[in-house]
This record gives sequence, C-alpha cells and structure tokens, in this order.
Amino acid sequence: PKITYNFLFKFLVIGSAGTGKSCLLHQFIENKFKQDSNHTIGVEFGSRVVNVGGKTVKLQIWDTAGQERFRSVTRSYYRGAAGALLVYDITSRETYNALTNWLTDARTLASPNIVIILCGNKKDLDADREVTFLEASRFAQENELMFLETSALTGENVEEAFLKCARTILNKIESGELDPERMGSGIQYGDASLRQLRQPRGSAAQTKQQCNC
Amino acid sequence: MEPTICVCVYSMNNNLFADMLSKSRITLKLDLGLFTKRLKDSRSVDQRDPGWKLFGKVPPVQNSAKDSRKIHKEHETKCGQFGDPTSPRQSVRKNLEFEPLSTTALILEDRPANLPAKPAEEAQKHRQQYEEMVAQAKKRELKEAQKRRKQLEVRCKMEESIGNAALTWNQEILPKWHSVCASRRVRDLCWQGVPPCVRGKVWSLAVGNELNITHELFNICLSRAREKWKSLPVPVAADTESQDREASLELIKLDISRTFPNLCIFQQGGPYHDVLHSILGAYTCYRPDVGYVQGMSFIAAVLILNMDTADAFIAFANLLNKPCQMAFYRVDHSLMLTYFAAFEVFFEENLPKLFAHFKDNKLTPDIYLIDWIFTLYSKSLPLDLACRVWDVFCQDGDEFLFRSALGILRLYDDILTRMDFIHNAQFLTRLPEDISADELFNNIAAINMQSKNKKWAQVLFQMGSPVLKRS
Repeated sequence: PKITYNFLFKFLVIGSAGTGKSCLLHQFIENKFKQDSNHTIGVEFGSRVVNVGGKTVKLQIWDTAGQERFRSVTRSYYRGAAGALLVYDITSRETYNALTNWLTDARTLASPNIVIILCGNKKDLDADREVTFLEASRFAQENELMFLETSALTGENVEEAFLKCARTILNKIESGELDPERMGSGIQYGDASLRQLRQPRGSAAQTKQQCNC
Repeated sequence: MEPTICVCVYSMNNNLFADMLSKSRITLKLDLGLFTKRLKDSRSVDQRDPGWKLFGKVPPVQNSAKDSRKIHKEHETKCGQFGDPTSPRQSVRKNLEFEPLSTTALILEDRPANLPAKPAEEAQKHRQQYEEMVAQAKKRELKEAQKRRKQLEVRCKMEESIGNAALTWNQEILPKWHSVCASRRVRDLCWQGVPPCVRGKVWSLAVGNELNITHELFNICLSRAREKWKSLPVPVAADTESQDREASLELIKLDISRTFPNLCIFQQGGPYHDVLHSILGAYTCYRPDVGYVQGMSFIAAVLILNMDTADAFIAFANLLNKPCQMAFYRVDHSLMLTYFAAFEVFFEENLPKLFAHFKDNKLTPDIYLIDWIFTLYSKSLPLDLACRVWDVFCQDGDEFLFRSALGILRLYDDILTRMDFIHNAQFLTRLPEDISADELFNNIAAINMQSKNKKWAQVLFQMGSPVLKRS
C-alpha cells in the first residue's frame, strides 16, 4: 500500500568509520539495535514516513561509508540533501576531531541551506567518554548545528535526531527560508501535496496561512 | 545478551502455549531452556500456573475446578499481556501446526490439589483435545520423517556428485592445470561450481602469482606489521599522514569484528581473528601506497575460509593487483566511472526497459556496484553463492563481476521495474537472502557480453580513459 506524504526529504548520515551511522539508521527504521552489523561499503539506504507538525514527510536516508578514503565516492551523494546527521563517537576524540572536515564537505557539496544535526553517538558508553557534552555543544553552537547525544544501542534520542532535523527543514519551508522548488533543495513534494494548491514563489506568508487551515 | 522469551503456561490453556510458540517461531529445544524470557514486560516465571507441564510426572486426575468461565477470562487477560488474544477456535487451528516432537512431550496434567478440581465435562474435553493433539503430532512426525528421508537422499546424491567432481578436479584437472585451464571443460566445471574441497587450490592457480610473492615475503611483511602494532598506541602525532596510517591500523581492528559477524569466527577470540588481522596488516606493509581500504576484509576472509594463511595472502595481493580491483581499491573515482560507463553499455543492451527505468529514477550504477565490486559479492550474496561467482571470476576476470551484476538485475527485472528509486536502492544494497543459485546462474548465462561485436575489454577501452589506454 502506498502511503501518501506531503514532502520527501533527502537525508545524509555522515561521519567517521565506526561511529555507528548504520546502527543509528537501523534503530530509527526498525526500532532495534543492530547487533551483528557489517561495515558499509559505499552507501546504504533507509526510508521512513514520519509525522512532523501535522505534515507527513517521507525521509529518504543515505547512509554513507565512513572511511576517509571513500570520501571521493561518498561526496557525490551529497548533492541535493536537505538534511544531515553528522555523527561522531563520544568515546573517540579522533572522530570528533574529524567533524570540521565532514562539515565543510556537507556545506559545500550539499545544498548551502542543508540542515545539519550533530549527533554524539554511543551515549550509553559514558565511562569511556572522550568528548564532553559541553565541548561538543560549543562546537555545535559555533557552527550553527543542532546537537544531541544519541545511543543507537538504547535508542535514546535517535528518533528525536531525525525528527528535529525534519522539523527544522519544515519550519524553514513554511517561513519561506527554503524553497522546495529550487533545484537541489533535497525536497520534493509528495503525492499528498496538490501541486495546484501551491502558492507562487515569494508568498511565503500566504503559504503558511494555507497550511494552517 | 541473547534475547529470550517468556512462556507461561496456564491451566486452561495448552492452546495459548502452542499458539505463542508458533507465533514466536521458536523451535522447541527443551535442553536449551524453554522457559526463558524475552518479552519486555514479561511477568516473572514463577507466576505461571501449573497445568500442562513439560515432562511432568503427575498423572491426569479428574477433579472439579475453578469456574471455567472465570479461568477463561483470566486466560484472556493473560493472553493480552503477550499481544493480541486469539479466539479459542483460532488457537485450535494453529495448534495443528505445533511442533510435533515437542507436543509428544506434553503430558496431560491436572490442577494441583490445593485448587478446586475441573468439572468432569471440562476434564473430558481437555483429555479429548490432548489426544487429538498427540494424534496430530504423530501424523506430522511421520510425515516429517518421510520428508527428512527424502532430503537425506537428495543430499547424498549431491554429496556424491560433489565427490565425483572433486575426483575429476584432483585427478584430471589440477595435475595439468596450465595445459587445460583455458579449455571448454574447465570453464564448464567452473560454471557448475568448484567443489569446496578443491576450491582453494583452484582459486590459487586461477588467480596466479604474477607478483611472485613467496611465503618468506609474507613472513617479512607480517613481522613488520607486528612491529608496527607493538609500537601502538603512538602519542597523538602532529602530522596528518602518520595519523592517517595509525587510523588505518585502528580501522583494521574495528572492521575485523565487523566482517561476517554472523559467522562468529573472525571476531575477537574467534579462530580466524588473528589470521585475518595478519593478512590485512601484512598487506599494508606490502603495499603502503594502497594501505587498508574498507571492503578488503571481506575478500581476505573468503580466501581464509578456503586456503591457509600464506596462500591466502598471495591470492589476496594478486587479486587486488588486477586492474579493476586496483582502480577500485585506490578509489580512483574517474577510473571507477569508466567501469560504470562500460557496465551501462551492456546494461542498456541486455535490459533496455530496466535501464530506462533506472535512468528515469536517477538510480546510477555506483549505488549498487560499489559494494558488489569492492567485496566481490561476498557481502551482498549468500556466501556459498558468492563463492560460485568467484569460481568463474577467478578464471574470467572483472568481466564476470559486471556480468553477474547484470544477472542479478535480470533475475529481479520484474520487481525492479515496478519500484521507485528508494525501494530499488534499498533492494539492491540489501539483496534477498534466498537467491537460488541455479536461477541466478541461468540469468548470468543469459547475459550477452558482446555489444556491437565488441567484447567487454574493448568497450572498456573505448570508454576512453587515458589510464586504461596507457596500460
């Protein structure tokens, strides 16, 4: 059965190898922790329809390989992404130090308006922590990222991370800051959004009004 | 921790018990501890009322019991704890599908003496139900026994043919490999699948040792790798290059545990953990310019499963040295695109409808080919099937990898043409686990690897990559 939706967002999951990107995706899609997981070669996919602020949004998620060497390949998947989960492992400073590189890639290669949420994963391994919450949240603030510490193992904040990102994109659409019709926005109208009802460009306020009714 | 299931048996409800088991798809293994817990909100096990008891000794006694309606109600509420309550009739129906071997171990038992006895009518009904269950179980057991016998016959036949094939390989092919390896017969035998017992030898010979790697060289590389590991952990170095190399060693460790995790033999403490570590480590010393790249661990693992360590290393290094593998493992993006472009030429000619559908949906071949080519299908296909792809690949080279890809697309042509981008991408990056070897190989065989009278290598050359033209 086909589920209708208002929007389709392309999402990326990026970050260094072994930070738990595929496990986050698996937890979000299947609601459980992937115990025996292979490492991702190239790219894997997930999709889920979520309800955000009264709108149905289909998330099309691209889960990329983490090894530095694969960047030249994974970079080509950034284009037209509306949102991204930038993942590091709170028990590995190395993965935290690599964030700047990932961030530059995402901002330059995906749409410039890409909404990024920083995820400090493996929150459950607090005893082995190498990156404090405070330090990471400062980094997030300086780079205008949203931030959550997550655990793909327990599921803590996993759904929140995806939903928060989706909600922010939706707000930006409604405020007119993001134009879904611009090429490479990473946003598509779903079958539930009747194209005829759409407002001409530049009348964001009107659009919002209509969405509320 | 292993998730487990909690099964509570209630006095009224043999059906519930059977029902839950069939729902949870558990094969009863009594010696493995049946009454363990899994459900999140499992009530404690000691709460279970006595009733049907596994291997219980109490003989069935008739005594009047609690008001049956009350018990029924109780059952329903308890049922609810485990999910949707099923109507008794449904339960009986499902009951027939209950594992027979375990059913025969069910013994009709009555309520304990401290509870009021069942009414005679009810007890009679229960006895009847019990007898029906046992009779059904016996019937099924008989059927299963017959099925098992048939399966055994099939297996024996298969083993015999494998044995014969092994004999052919050992006596007729392997001794004079270099004179027969290009023959039609060897080619056919490879397409039929090389018997596992000679697979390692065949692969070694077919891959060859162009690099002239000796066991000594392997040992030298290995001891160098070990020295490096010993000097770890290195304090955080300032220059990025040494950090990168260090990361590569760390990554090997991380990835080994994430290579065929379900086989449980490459993980820490597993029998092949150190072997896999050795091969990957030795390779980073043998080819520091390539180093460790994700995907390698799968190739090394498959080789380890088929030959001893030094030979696996030799085959590994020679396999990676092939032009296609080098292009991919150096992550030479433009050269990879050349391979994809050549692939698309054959894709369009063999499966024009699907090709157009993928184009419309912007599904580019890199999305699925990267995983398939990097790991030589060992991650994406069931292992035995992947080995069969290797049987031909070792002989035919990279052309067969792309032909296999087209075979997979051809096999699922109908489904793929009906799905959108995301579903196709998900499907192709996570292929079904029950692919039939015969069907896949029939589809691979049906792929035409000639395009306008040009073979794969010629088309690839024509794609105009200066790198390929130079080599």
